[in-house]
Amino acid sequence: MALPSRARSARLLVVTLVSVSLVTITIDYRQGDTGPLAAIGNTALTVISPLQEAVSKVTKPVGNFFSTLVRLPSIRNDNRELRARVDELESEIATSSHDSARLAELEALLGLRESLDDIPTTGALVIANGPSNFEWTITIDRGSSDGIALDMPVVAAAGLVGRVTRVTSASSVVQLIIDPDSFVAGRLDVSRTTGLVSGEGENDLRMSVVSAETEVVPGEQVVTAGYKIPGIAESVFPSGILIGSVSRVLSDEAELEKFITIRPAVDFSSLDAVLVVLSDGSG
Amino acid sequence: MRRTLLLVAVILSALLLQTTIFADVLLLGAKPELMYLVTIAFAFLDGPTPGAIAGFAGGMAEDFLLDQPKGITALTLTLLGYAVGMLRQYVVSPSPVFPVFLVAGGTFAGVLFYGVVSFLLGQLDVSVLYLVRVAALSALYNAILTPLVFPILRRVIEGSRTSKVVRW
Repeated sequence: MALPSRARSARLLVVTLVSVSLVTITIDYRQGDTGPLAAIGNTALTVISPLQEAVSKVTKPVGNFFSTLVRLPSIRNDNRELRARVDELESEIATSSHDSARLAELEALLGLRESLDDIPTTGALVIANGPSNFEWTITIDRGSSDGIALDMPVVAAAGLVGRVTRVTSASSVVQLIIDPDSFVAGRLDVSRTTGLVSGEGENDLRMSVVSAETEVVPGEQVVTAGYKIPGIAESVFPSGILIGSVSRVLSDEAELEKFITIRPAVDFSSLDAVLVVLSDGSG
Repeated sequence: MRRTLLLVAVILSALLLQTTIFADVLLLGAKPELMYLVTIAFAFLDGPTPGAIAGFAGGMAEDFLLDQPKGITALTLTLLGYAVGMLRQYVVSPSPVFPVFLVAGGTFAGVLFYGVVSFLLGQLDVSVLYLVRVAALSALYNAILTPLVFPILRRVIEGSRTSKVVRW
């Protein structure tokens, strides 16, 4: 007699918990970032981020060790490719000094250098990654008390990282450009054609809305295309930040647009330090 | 009270490990799903009710760190904890590798369920093949971790019981 009663109470509990979950999903789905659940989420992030920072400091060397072991075959390949690239670059140094001088002159003429120098940034350390296999985010150790706000662009030495999607006083969550919900206006460096760069998780990025007539070659760099339509829309990212290079181009005459994939310039698996651009991106 | 504190400590540890050390050690691009492993362990060792409670609490804690609508992981893990706890009552196997297969199967089914619910809510835009691949890799990763994590959780859970358990 006791067993059916116990089974009944277990079923009742599960029904209650499932109902609470469904109500939570509904409330959060309808209210988005402005609801009370989002506030609880930010509080949870505020509480856990100092712990993540502490754990990250202790476990980072261990994580790096195992990560290196897992990536050993690809590291060998990278090493070989980098050695070849060093040889190639050494032979180019002689001619590049002339090109650099010319580029500097052009930049000065266009005022690009001045505008880039004017953009304030703040450095931040990566203290954690998102817990899910379907969401590509990182947590950084800078928050609203350091001047960070929603939608601020985040860059690394190699290129574009993503944008800030959640902020607490001492930490922020950054959505990486490889997240499937991330969309960045990109520009092909040679043809100057713009397109939409979207995340594909662990796979290369995808660039769409590029017409089939555009000449695109693998290896061509893709940078952010800052835009501003007064009163309607404005790019989150400043223009000219490296996103990556074209890894694959598929042309199909029947299609109206080219299928382009982009290898991100940033290695997201070993991201330790980033810069947050403290501007609205229009600079 | 003691068990509540224990559950909070286990969930917090799993979350911290999931977002720090295991975020760096990926298996073919996938992370383990430690909260799934914890839920299955509670359900396996304690039954459907503790399994469902652990799943709900762990899932909700993980949900609040995600940018997706809160509650999807909690829903997934509540059902997973209950299902594994119920299944355990009907399967009697002395094999020490049984938990490994249970964790692998449970994680695979749970991640697929999570993916389907997220897709239906318009929160996930990946191919079916990708979803199955991530579910399979997470299941494999969790299965590899089971011999390390299970004995620790077994000791912790059994140590927190107030009354002695009669094995038969």
